[in-house]
Amino acid sequence: MSNFRTATIVAGVLLVAFAAVSGDRYFMDIFIFTCFYGTLAVCWNMMAGLTGLMSLGHALFVGIGAYSVAWGLSVHGWSPLVTWPLGVGLAVAAAAAIGMLCFRYGLRGYFFAIATLAFGEVAFFTVSATEALGRSDGMIMPISAEDIPGQLQFFEKWPYALIIMTILIGTIAIGEALMKSRTGYYWRALRDNEQAAEALGVNARAFKLRCFMLSAGISALCGAFYANYVAFVDPRSVLGVELSIQMLVYSIVGGMSLLWGPLIGAAVLVPFSILLRDYSAIPGSDIVVYAVLLAVLALVLPQGIAGWFVARWQRRRLARRASRTAEVVS
Amino acid sequence: MTSLLEVQRVSKSFGGLHALSDVSFEVGAGEIFAVIGPNGAGKTTLFNCLAGAATLTSGAIRLGGQRIDGRPPHEICRRGLARTFQLVKPFRGMTVLENVKVAAFSRYPSTKQATAAARAVLDRIGMAGLAEHDAETLNVAQLRQLEIARALATEPQLLLLDEMLAGLTPTESTAMCERIRQLPRAGIAVIVVEHSIPVVTSLCARAVVLCFGKVLTQGSTCEVIANPRVQEAYLGNAQS
Ligand SMILES: Nc1ncnc2c1ncn2[C@@H]1O[C@H](COP(=O)(O)OP(=O)(O)OP(=O)(O)O)[C@@H](O)[C@H]1O
Ligand SMILES: [Mg+2]
Repeated sequence: MSNFRTATIVAGVLLVAFAAVSGDRYFMDIFIFTCFYGTLAVCWNMMAGLTGLMSLGHALFVGIGAYSVAWGLSVHGWSPLVTWPLGVGLAVAAAAAIGMLCFRYGLRGYFFAIATLAFGEVAFFTVSATEALGRSDGMIMPISAEDIPGQLQFFEKWPYALIIMTILIGTIAIGEALMKSRTGYYWRALRDNEQAAEALGVNARAFKLRCFMLSAGISALCGAFYANYVAFVDPRSVLGVELSIQMLVYSIVGGMSLLWGPLIGAAVLVPFSILLRDYSAIPGSDIVVYAVLLAVLALVLPQGIAGWFVARWQRRRLARRASRTAEVVS
Repeated sequence: MTSLLEVQRVSKSFGGLHALSDVSFEVGAGEIFAVIGPNGAGKTTLFNCLAGAATLTSGAIRLGGQRIDGRPPHEICRRGLARTFQLVKPFRGMTVLENVKVAAFSRYPSTKQATAAARAVLDRIGMAGLAEHDAETLNVAQLRQLEIARALATEPQLLLLDEMLAGLTPTESTAMCERIRQLPRAGIAVIVVEHSIPVVTSLCARAVVLCFGKVLTQGSTCEVIANPRVQEAYLGNAQS
């Protein structure tokens, strides 16, 4: 299992957390949302932190997944077996189209960020004006009084927790396998210096596109899960720019240089912000506290929480290894 | 001598600026060839055109008889042309070994083989001791070596070296020259861009001189250097 060490550790921690919250619906809900945002942040950061492609329109793909499920179920009564692959397929196709357009014209850095932001906003306003998708009021999905496992309708929360945990662990495992392979090396090379990477045989466009499509597909999977869990989707919650920004914030706070860094960011901030929202006496004060915490974290730990720990640990390990090889050579 | 690289009437303009006009020359397999010329002559632009980083305005480039102009850089790399950059471009978030692995992946898609190939290259050029060091911690000479190591890991037939000796101490530059001199023995032809005339004469049998994007003269290095027009171009440059 050494090839999937991170995924194994994440799975272990998640199981412990799951067991700890399993007695309580409220905490289970927090757990589920932490996994949801954690997965999104991890797959967003595969692009931004690991490949150097900062997308500000990732909500688009979450929205495609969520609306595929909501629309498919409310209008046609389709099961998740149909709607989930539909949502993922559409999102991957959308990413391929947007990616080809952006990479063809060499958009990177801020320009790529703005282009993706624009696509996300176009989708937001289009859906907000589309009758068949419930306009800005959103779509309430039909719920029956009894559990229907085939429609992923459960009264209990633990089945949802298991589903989103599986998605999260799968994402980490896929990411981990890729980061150790040629693809991961190419992604990091493209992030650091695209021109040098291309001169060393890296097909920049193809590998950026691959990263974008994978990230979009996972985002759509999360969106599909969200629709089935919450049973209500509206443009603000699954297509809004706030959602894209959340992925960015969790990644920065957690650590963008690491596959699992964003997960740490989400694990700290998601429960914190939910608890703050639900328990703050003065309305709006939660936002202030949250903002102050973000500013402090950004100041104290510019590499992110996970980045800080790993940098310390790695510096020690590299020094040890370097001194060992120096001995061997001399 | 069979020609490995044929550069035929290559021109490149940036707007109204003719960085290269009608440049033609040939490089044989296993040769060390020099491109010399004053600052701004178009040497780096020529390398960019050869490596696919810049598109030609007109002309043709053939490697091993096949057209490579118009092809993207990664494909030209796969066909056996590798280049180093005048301003070194290491991947800063990676160790030396990882840097070289990126290049080795172009020949060996599996991680295991790429690692072995990258280690072999580092051994060959005497950088094995630095394998686990962060690329960020290297000094100028080591960064230049890393550029060469990465280029070699793509297993080229032809290697373009852009001012690899600039800024090196005499000892470092002697060592680097020795390393370059070994390359033809491994079946690698080299084109060097170099300002130091003694280095060029000691390394290369043939050279082409560029001045304001045009070929001033080409031929055997000694003849080329002795050419009064070349003397003038260099002297003019030195005085300005
Ligand atoms: N991307 C570009 N856009 C516009 N002009 C350029 C570009 N690249 C190079 N040039 C111009 O082309 C000319 C040749 O530049 P080049 O870098 O090829 O010279 P060089 O011979 O490598 O010089 P040096 O010895 O200083 O490295 C210069 O006048 C330069 O300003
Ligand atoms: Mg130059």
